[in-house]
Amino acid sequence: MLSVMLVTLKGIFRDRVFHGIMVLAVLFLFIPSAASLSMRQVTELSVTLSLSLISFMQLLLAVFLGATSIWRDMERRYTFSVLSLPISRSSYIIGRFSGIVLFLLISSAVLCAAACLAVKMSASIYPSERQVEWILLLLAVVFSSLKYILLVGVALLLSTVSTSFFLPVFGTVCVFLASGVTQQVYEYVNSPLALQAVSPLLKPIVSLVYYLLPNLSGFDLKLNAIYGIMPDVSGLVLTLGYFIAYTSLLMGGAALLFSRREMR
Amino acid sequence: MNRRFPMILFIAGLCAYLTLLVPFSTYMRNKPIEEKLGYVPSIKLLKPLSADQRELAGAWLVFKVTMYFGGLLAKAQEGVLNLPRADLPGMSRLLHGAVQLDPYNMDAYYFAQSFLTWDAGQFKVANDLLDYGMRYRSWDWYLPFFAGFNHAFFLKDYGKAAEYYRKAAELSGSELYASLSGRYLHESGQTELAIGYLAGMAKAAKNQSVKLTYEIRLKAFVEVRRIEEARDRFVMQRGVLPDSVDQLVQSGFLNPVPVDPYGGKFYIGPEGKVSTTSRFAFSVKHK
Repeated sequence: MLSVMLVTLKGIFRDRVFHGIMVLAVLFLFIPSAASLSMRQVTELSVTLSLSLISFMQLLLAVFLGATSIWRDMERRYTFSVLSLPISRSSYIIGRFSGIVLFLLISSAVLCAAACLAVKMSASIYPSERQVEWILLLLAVVFSSLKYILLVGVALLLSTVSTSFFLPVFGTVCVFLASGVTQQVYEYVNSPLALQAVSPLLKPIVSLVYYLLPNLSGFDLKLNAIYGIMPDVSGLVLTLGYFIAYTSLLMGGAALLFSRREMR
Repeated sequence: MNRRFPMILFIAGLCAYLTLLVPFSTYMRNKPIEEKLGYVPSIKLLKPLSADQRELAGAWLVFKVTMYFGGLLAKAQEGVLNLPRADLPGMSRLLHGAVQLDPYNMDAYYFAQSFLTWDAGQFKVANDLLDYGMRYRSWDWYLPFFAGFNHAFFLKDYGKAAEYYRKAAELSGSELYASLSGRYLHESGQTELAIGYLAGMAKAAKNQSVKLTYEIRLKAFVEVRRIEEARDRFVMQRGVLPDSVDQLVQSGFLNPVPVDPYGGKFYIGPEGKVSTTSRFAFSVKHK
């Protein structure tokens, strides 16, 4: 499994994905000037822009690396060569996942450092009334990374049942968009307001979708980082537990499905 | 396909692009201002669409409104005629949307306070928005400071104003707001209070459009104060209210002639209240 992980990591670097990230990271240089357009919250806007840029790059990485990795191996017939070696299908899929996760974490660390520099620059030019809470900024990047690691799991799970990259790519994007609003929809359907407006049949369906899809809104700590608001520690621990449980489910399911997949 | 075809296509494309470049840029630059505010989807749609980038979407809405208002203000300063009336409800809708996406966004509250009160006269809407902001930005003294001013100056509700100023004093730890709290309990020196508020806001404003808005309004109020002082001197000496501003100028109480930066004409109301025909806004023509 470790060897698959390292091969995956090397493969991603060989494909010059990291170069692509570095090119996009040039945008961090423009954040202090873009943030200076704010009337009252220059530093806050620079944190917003930095975290948004990191989140956007993590999304691209999660969707494209997670959704195309297995499909590409199958297309190039690498999978058959690898699986002819003494390595189980489960180790192969978990190794692929670990390699992508490691790359995502390395990229996030580099982007976080660039974000800190951009925010520091903005804060030194236009000091904010509230100090930047660096720990919260770091925490926001860590939880954002966890969110996209979970999304990589979704992409890999969809890859194991698909013969093309369309289902994994578009399926992952759809899960990502839906997972940000399931909480609101669930709360609305279960509120007294919805009693008259929503069909009673819809309620169990919404509840099923709510529990089935990952709830990614809990991983979003941007507001806390931007405005220096301390998050609830017990909530963070719960979110971490949710991440571990859901990712284990996804990877367990992906390994099971991949083990049973017919290879031709 | 002819081998020269790609080259012909490229050259034809380049020629067409160069031909259209200038007229297209001119068209974009001269687009009507109201089109620049543009259509923004309902916030109910924008919320799920912005996924985990709600703070960014909120900042984008505020930026859109400030750019639109800045453009309008610049044209008003240049004396452009047939200028459309600012789409204040549209601006208000976007800023309300921005705080629904990011309830902590200070730029939205700050800008809404500047135009909802002075330009739109929507004091209740402004105060409701400030109250909403205070629920989230619980550390920020600016929001109760704005609300205090609105209650004292526009709504003449001095008890409420004092309450907000006490809150601003507690949050900022500043003696100034504590004293303002007491001062707002008395209905006196309204123009003086407006000048103090506007001078402070103009000094603190970083955005040039907003700064300019406050500076122009400040100039107008400084002129109002000059007329009020001249009126008081007139009353003291002659025992009656002057009929007009012109009478004050002609009788030597007021020199030089007051100028309304909004292009209006100052007048003295039946009870001696000094006001202007511009109502402290640039004259606009309806389309």
